Amino acid sequence: MKKVFGMLLFMALVAVFAPGAQGQVIVIANNSVKAADVSKSDLKDVFTGGASSLKDGSHVTPVLLKSGAANDEFLSAYVGKSDTAFKASWRSLVFSGQATMPKSFDSDAAVVEYVSHTAGAIGYISKGTPHDGVKTLAVR
Amino acid sequence: MKRFLVALGVLFLAVGTARAQSLDDLNIQIHGYATQGFAYTTNNNILTMKSSDGSPQWTDAVVNVTAQPTSKLRVGVQARYMILGNLGNAITLDWAAVDYKVNDAFGVRFGKVKTPSGLFNETQDIDPSYMWSLLPQGVYPLMSRNSLLSHYGGVVYGTVKLGQSLGKLEYRGWAGGRNLPGDDGYFLNQSESGETLPNGISWVLTGEALHWKAPVSGLMIGASNTQYRSASAPLLYGPYSGAENLSVFNSPSYFAKYEKNKVMVGGEYIRLLVPYAVALTGLPVNPGVLDERSWYGMASYKVTDKLMIGLYDSQSVDHKASLGAARDSMDWAISGRYDFNQYLYAKAEEHILHGTLVGYDITLNPAGLQPNTDMTIFKVGVSF
Repeated sequence: MKKVFGMLLFMALVAVFAPGAQGQVIVIANNSVKAADVSKSDLKDVFTGGASSLKDGSHVTPVLLKSGAANDEFLSAYVGKSDTAFKASWRSLVFSGQATMPKSFDSDAAVVEYVSHTAGAIGYISKGTPHDGVKTLAVR
Repeated sequence: MKRFLVALGVLFLAVGTARAQSLDDLNIQIHGYATQGFAYTTNNNILTMKSSDGSPQWTDAVVNVTAQPTSKLRVGVQARYMILGNLGNAITLDWAAVDYKVNDAFGVRFGKVKTPSGLFNETQDIDPSYMWSLLPQGVYPLMSRNSLLSHYGGVVYGTVKLGQSLGKLEYRGWAGGRNLPGDDGYFLNQSESGETLPNGISWVLTGEALHWKAPVSGLMIGASNTQYRSASAPLLYGPYSGAENLSVFNSPSYFAKYEKNKVMVGGEYIRLLVPYAVALTGLPVNPGVLDERSWYGMASYKVTDKLMIGLYDSQSVDHKASLGAARDSMDWAISGRYDFNQYLYAKAEEHILHGTLVGYDITLNPAGLQPNTDMTIFKVGVSF
């Protein structure tokens, strides 16, 4: 019984203190974006096609990862959708003539490369990925 | 011809805008999807399919080309090939539009554009975008969806932030014209009764919609209305000729949706009140009123990332029709969708239907319509 209790306590502590998914992904933007941070709600609006600017007026264009852990974590933490549901919602906008599908890339490095050279681009990558030439946006 | 002129105009604008830009700069994208449905019904044949034998005559294939030369300007065109029982079997233009979004508060789209009324109208023909195989037929009738889907003209749109405690307000306003050809499914029952509209009907319309995204995360409450100007269309009835005259009418809709995490709950009410008069040479003018009121309530739950289940109850009543099964339509549906990956999905749905107001024709039910029908639907779809 003690062992079971101990195990449950250990799992609870791990759950409480383990780094959350949001800690594994960072949001990056082209240096032309004036904002230094972004709210979760604005981030969700931008990445679901509901907005094309941040609160400070910076015009932004979302850039996606095609797949992978960072992609899944970002969508789960900030958009609240699975990758399948997320892509389906974008297709809904595309096929009804309301939006163009955001550019998507195979790797974090490719996202960094594109964001660094594209005014207004905003994307997400794994925390450990080198990201010289872009700015990091804190998520409030 | 008109639709191809619009498409040509859009392409011309796209090419004009493309000067001095590389193809990569234009961000040209091609997307598409295709679906294949299978329907089996007890008692009646439905949606112009011989569904009581089991029918696969339900196919959609869509191709879409868009270009975005600048962050504010988009141009695009979308074509569709559709078969639904005895309807369709032709390539049609879904939309062809130029979109200029000044900022989040104001944008404009013109050409042949989707009409942004109701909760699902802009996406009602985009099968990959929702879970259901068949949307509630009282509000989004598949046989006559062209009567609602799009118009030639424009849409203005935008979002106004009301502050953290009040949420956001999305607005849409539209104006233009819509033509329904005489062989559209909208006129099927009328043509079966002997009345034909050789030129179909053309309307001038305006409309507006407001979507309030409440500060409660995931909650949206909205209303829309389309105003149709009066219209007159040549009408043939046996040896007689004349006109069908439609007075000014409105099509208001009220809707709400709550979507958060794995749960979605939504509902909509719509009313169509159409005064009309049939005037045939040599016969007294025959006035009438169509008063259809329809609603649905739906809920879905995401069981896993790939599996979603849901149900809805939908009802439609023509308050001016005689008492009987043809006066209303009631539909209980239970549905499921499985996404194998982001490209391929399958759907299954069971309907328990009562009443014959929506979705039936006489030609395929020569022995008369039964009041109750059960329908089973399977669908597969692929999109890219």
